[in-house]
Amino acid sequence: MIRFVLALWLLGSRVAVADDYQAASKLAGDPATVPAAIVAFEAIGDARPTTRWTDNAWSEAGRLAERIGELERARHAYEQVLALTDDAVLRQRARATLARLGGARWDAVRREHVGWVAESMRGDPRAALTALEKLATEQPDYPDRANLWLAIARGWELDGDGERALELLRAAIAKTTGRDQAQLGFAFARIATRGGELDAATAVLDQLAAAPDADRAAIANLREHVETAARRAWIRRGMWFAVAILGGLAAFVLRRETGSWRTTARRLIRPPSEAVFLIPVAGVMVAVAMTGNPVVARALLLILGAGVIVAWISGALFEAHRVRHGQIGARRASAQAVLVIGAIGSVTYLAIDRDRLLDLVEETVEHGPSAD
Amino acid sequence: MRLIIFPFLIGACVRGNPQAADPAFTDTGGKIEVPGCGYSVTTREGAEAPKLSSPIGLLGADPTPRLVHLGFIGDPKTSIVAQWRTVDEETAVSRIRFAVGDDLPAEQLTQEADGLDFRYKATGKDIYRQHQAHLCGLTAGATYSYQVGSPGNFSPVYTFHTAPDIVANPDTETVFGVIGDARDGYDIWEQLVGLLRQRSPDLILFTGDAVTIGLVQNEWEEFFGRAEPLLARTPMVFAHGNHEVNAAPYYSQVALPGDQENFGFDYGHVHVTVANDTPADISAIAGAYRTAMIDDFERSRSATWKVLMHHQPIWSSATAHGSSMFLQEHWMPVIDQYAIDLVLAGHDHDFEMSNPLRATAVQATNATGTVYAVVGGAGAELYGIDEDLFHSAYAESTYSASTLRATKNLLELEAFRPDGSSIADTDPDARFTKTK
Repeated sequence: MIRFVLALWLLGSRVAVADDYQAASKLAGDPATVPAAIVAFEAIGDARPTTRWTDNAWSEAGRLAERIGELERARHAYEQVLALTDDAVLRQRARATLARLGGARWDAVRREHVGWVAESMRGDPRAALTALEKLATEQPDYPDRANLWLAIARGWELDGDGERALELLRAAIAKTTGRDQAQLGFAFARIATRGGELDAATAVLDQLAAAPDADRAAIANLREHVETAARRAWIRRGMWFAVAILGGLAAFVLRRETGSWRTTARRLIRPPSEAVFLIPVAGVMVAVAMTGNPVVARALLLILGAGVIVAWISGALFEAHRVRHGQIGARRASAQAVLVIGAIGSVTYLAIDRDRLLDLVEETVEHGPSAD
Repeated sequence: MRLIIFPFLIGACVRGNPQAADPAFTDTGGKIEVPGCGYSVTTREGAEAPKLSSPIGLLGADPTPRLVHLGFIGDPKTSIVAQWRTVDEETAVSRIRFAVGDDLPAEQLTQEADGLDFRYKATGKDIYRQHQAHLCGLTAGATYSYQVGSPGNFSPVYTFHTAPDIVANPDTETVFGVIGDARDGYDIWEQLVGLLRQRSPDLILFTGDAVTIGLVQNEWEEFFGRAEPLLARTPMVFAHGNHEVNAAPYYSQVALPGDQENFGFDYGHVHVTVANDTPADISAIAGAYRTAMIDDFERSRSATWKVLMHHQPIWSSATAHGSSMFLQEHWMPVIDQYAIDLVLAGHDHDFEMSNPLRATAVQATNATGTVYAVVGGAGAELYGIDEDLFHSAYAESTYSASTLRATKNLLELEAFRPDGSSIADTDPDARFTKTK
């Protein structure tokens, strides 16, 4: 009889806890009643004997307490989860959350970290980034210091000050070890590669490779990026050189054909028929391009803009030659056409050597167009 | 448009020196039964047929495993697939060492199994080799430690856990990371991966567009390389995005159930249906793919929570793509018919939450309507937002990663900006919560 009564009582209490849990879950669904939900979950967690809802209730209490910014209360709840549960996944999640929340002493630093990063993404980032630098310098033991330094470096790079980003990362790398150092080092290599500081990128990769637990595959991948950037930098310099030479050659020939700089200028002011033909065509092409991929549209704008200038100069050269010599020979025309193609080719390369467009073009040439 | 600039580009390629094509490589795809798993692995055109590995196979110059990431083809309660590549592309030994337990030292990984490998084409003449190890017959809700590689060249030890058995443990909670559109924004992607890792998800749902062009292996290296700390511990399920372009490198590097395009699975109290809305033949959206979706919805009628994941949003406030009228016409009636709780998409690079909708009518609560979320903020350049559209509950042009929590009583989606702040702290409408 006693056993029967005890079993009945146990069954009744379990049903009651299940109902309490469901009621608390309902409260948690409404932002206005989240504090009440936390209290309800804590009560279920505190009740003894423990039930199958005890660990889940503490986990819920922790999650909701973190949501409303009561970090100490959240920490306590997750510690209860660790103390009470044998569910490996719940334990893992509680451990990860406690690691994320860190000790109470970092609460203020973390709030400042998150607040200033948010600020740096909204308006003028400089004040926020400077405040973050101050925070990182004053809190060298902050557990999330690597992410803090990364946020600062990326912020300065986005603001156009890649040099400052690299300088800060270099200093941070020197102060860190292990995974933090690798994370910062990889970021340094990427930013340096993007900024053309290829020797600096290589030096940091060499430094990281010397570590006994170095991620060799990631380092090899980054070295490949550096090599590609170096190769493209040489080609870019060659293209700029070609543009400069061709521009100089055009100015020299035009001056010789017209006899004076003043006449050269006059000749250039009047649009030749080539330019008159190309300008509306280029305008239509740019307008159409603007409705598609913005990266391609920007490149096309540059290419067609340069094309109009080259056509203008080329037309002026032909016109000056015709005025002075009466006719344009086939050899002269062919030579100029080759030089014009060279100029357009150089400018085209310079236009697409940005925004990873060169990669896109390579793949399109090899494999055909893809979707937007 | 790209055709216009082709003529200017001939001779401007700086591809480097790709290795010569291997005459023994055939790219017609193939199929192999995985011993002990009851399913097969199928490779597509662009990849060779998979072959089972032997422990005495060829070792290349540097067999160090890299880009380790998890997926599954079978039941996530009892199976997992570890995938990786090696520094060289020649190593043909694929082995996994594992044991039940959390963070075990390597010497305690007492069970071993052979995997399989196959090669695939990406850009140029380069050929890459993918390794897979399939573990089946695992215990539901259990934690395992594992490492992959070849004798003498194993990866670090990672830990994963299988999906819970909700019959044995009905109070279980699952947490999914939800994210999409990383393409070409890999710094942000890495930042968000760190943020998700701190929330210790059971599974990652990726809504598509991992890379800018699915054929470019370098981009996949960035995508998987930056996320390895998370993806070596947490399986990821992909929806195909238009930028994956149905390419061989995509299908070769992601182990997914069924035909890898349209499939469904149960994880905890949630049934997730995945659909490809950018098939090679677009007519399939109204045909075979729609039928596959209906079949999966039909099979999952009794699921506590029903979630659909695909790429192009049916409802969106973004200025770039916006709502897909085509999918509204062909998929939305089915979504309404089966009362799907939540639809996840990307494609538009922002974070959005719709009002509960049934057809084009806004519902008073999400008890009678489906909520459509856009979670395309994993790193690709952000898009603008059109204000005050009738379907929109919240929209923000921000990078973000979300968590989707599910218990038998609750389904809740919450998004976080890269700085860790919750978007719902700005506006409670940005949080999806549904209770039963």
